[in-house]
Amino acid sequence: MMPQRGKGLWLVVVLLLPFYAYLHMGSWTQRAELRQAPTTSFLVPSQFSRVLACGYKGLLADFQFLRVLTFYGDRSANQQPLSTQDWDYFRDSIDVLTDLDPYFYDPYVLTEGLLTWDAGRFEDANTLLAKGARYRRNDWRLPYFIGFNNFFFLKDYAAGAEHIMAASRLPDSPSYLPTLAARLAYYGGKSQTAVLFLKQMLAENSDERLAKRLQLRLSALERAALIEAALQRFRHEKQRDVENVKELVTAGYVQQLPEDPYGGQWRILPNGRVFSTSKFVQGKKE
Amino acid sequence: MVQRVWALSLVTCKEGIRDRSLYGIFLFALFVLGLNVAVAGFFMRDLGKVTVDMNLAALSFAGLLLVFFIGINLMAKDIDKKTIHLVLSKPFSRGEYIWGKYFGLLLVVLFAQVIVLLFSCATVACVHAMYPGYFTSFSWPVFFIAAFFIYLQQALLCAIVVFFSSITSTSFITLIFSMASYIVGISLEEVVFYLRTQAATEEVVASATLHHTLEVVTWLVPNFAAFDFKIEAAHGLALEWSRLWTSCGYGVLYICILLVLASLIFKRREFN
Repeated sequence: MMPQRGKGLWLVVVLLLPFYAYLHMGSWTQRAELRQAPTTSFLVPSQFSRVLACGYKGLLADFQFLRVLTFYGDRSANQQPLSTQDWDYFRDSIDVLTDLDPYFYDPYVLTEGLLTWDAGRFEDANTLLAKGARYRRNDWRLPYFIGFNNFFFLKDYAAGAEHIMAASRLPDSPSYLPTLAARLAYYGGKSQTAVLFLKQMLAENSDERLAKRLQLRLSALERAALIEAALQRFRHEKQRDVENVKELVTAGYVQQLPEDPYGGQWRILPNGRVFSTSKFVQGKKE
Repeated sequence: MVQRVWALSLVTCKEGIRDRSLYGIFLFALFVLGLNVAVAGFFMRDLGKVTVDMNLAALSFAGLLLVFFIGINLMAKDIDKKTIHLVLSKPFSRGEYIWGKYFGLLLVVLFAQVIVLLFSCATVACVHAMYPGYFTSFSWPVFFIAAFFIYLQQALLCAIVVFFSSITSTSFITLIFSMASYIVGISLEEVVFYLRTQAATEEVVASATLHHTLEVVTWLVPNFAAFDFKIEAAHGLALEWSRLWTSCGYGVLYICILLVLASLIFKRREFN
């Protein structure tokens, strides 16, 4: 009796196998079609996902980050541009996963790389990066990214300089940041901020080579600020603009024009700012 | 007394180690650690963080499985199979039985955690060797501190299991109560702090009763988040001694109170 019953059960398995194979292939085909058009899915808000993580917030952040990477990767591979809704999903995902683990650096790099260059959402990117900077207090890269976004995308030189100055004070920041920050501050009309910042950096710095560069930039900005002050006095008293920078000497507002330490010639820009043909870069005259 | 408690602990520990489910838990942990080596390369820069996350999660989850499935069984077996009559006929007080069982459970968990931790260290070292430039903030001391607090969390959970085993007569009810305590304990802090935020007061209509109930729950259920140092270990963040001592003292005191209560209840219990 037993072997016959066993045979019967084997027959049932053999009969079921083709149906299983058919449904198996159907299911995988359906899934492949669905995945070709990845859609933004519902995102659990951080106040709930932090609870639902059950103590595994770091791991959930890693998983969520992989989901965002896959989402963007799928779209890129299929050459499908991301819609406004997709970018909202991208931003919100990064927001949620950095709420789960605000020290996680990769999401901030992805934000800087995509949310600015691809999506043009500079304010959103800066908000997320500012969150990272609040937690990763010794990481110069995050304030640097914010400064770069302000300077390069938003054309807000003063804000850019402020953040790059903050970045340059952090450990392991590159030596070019102080001079870059000072130049940006000068572009942004914050001559005195730039001068004070450079003086402070010089006082704190012990590296001779960096000190030389800082000193050069400081003397250039101090001289430009001196001409600018004379220019303002001229405008105030004569109620007109100077025709060229040499008029300040002939009118007696400065004894002689100071030399640009970078070797350029002083110019007055249409917006009334004093600048040099060297652009405060060594070896660049025009 | 110490000798009797120690003898019972050793018997419980040997019984636990003989359990075949332990191999399943080790296999699970090994799978997660192997997965870690495979997945780490998917990330951009924070490979060290991802590695530590996965390793500590494997350690913690293996411990949870152990406490819930082997620990509860070890406690309930004596009562379910009536062998408790045999044990209590020996010169053991009921209090000693509770403490002996608890320390036995701790030894089983320690044995398993040490083995998983050894594999875990090997995995971290392996991924570190594969991607040496991406472990800039990693710190072994913080990693071991986080692992120690995972063990303390399991020790607290063992005390909860012992406590509920002293009250209930079936292992299933102990499992449900212990799991519920863990889920409430691990998510309690998030709920409490969320309800204190400005956004919550604007969005959620939280009644005074809810706030009072939560206040009571915070006193009854341990805050498991106090033993969670996984994020700190993942980023190699500096830990304050005061925080470590407070968490440690909080856990040990809670365990002591729970075990004393379990002894008191167990002394009054009648077995059929």
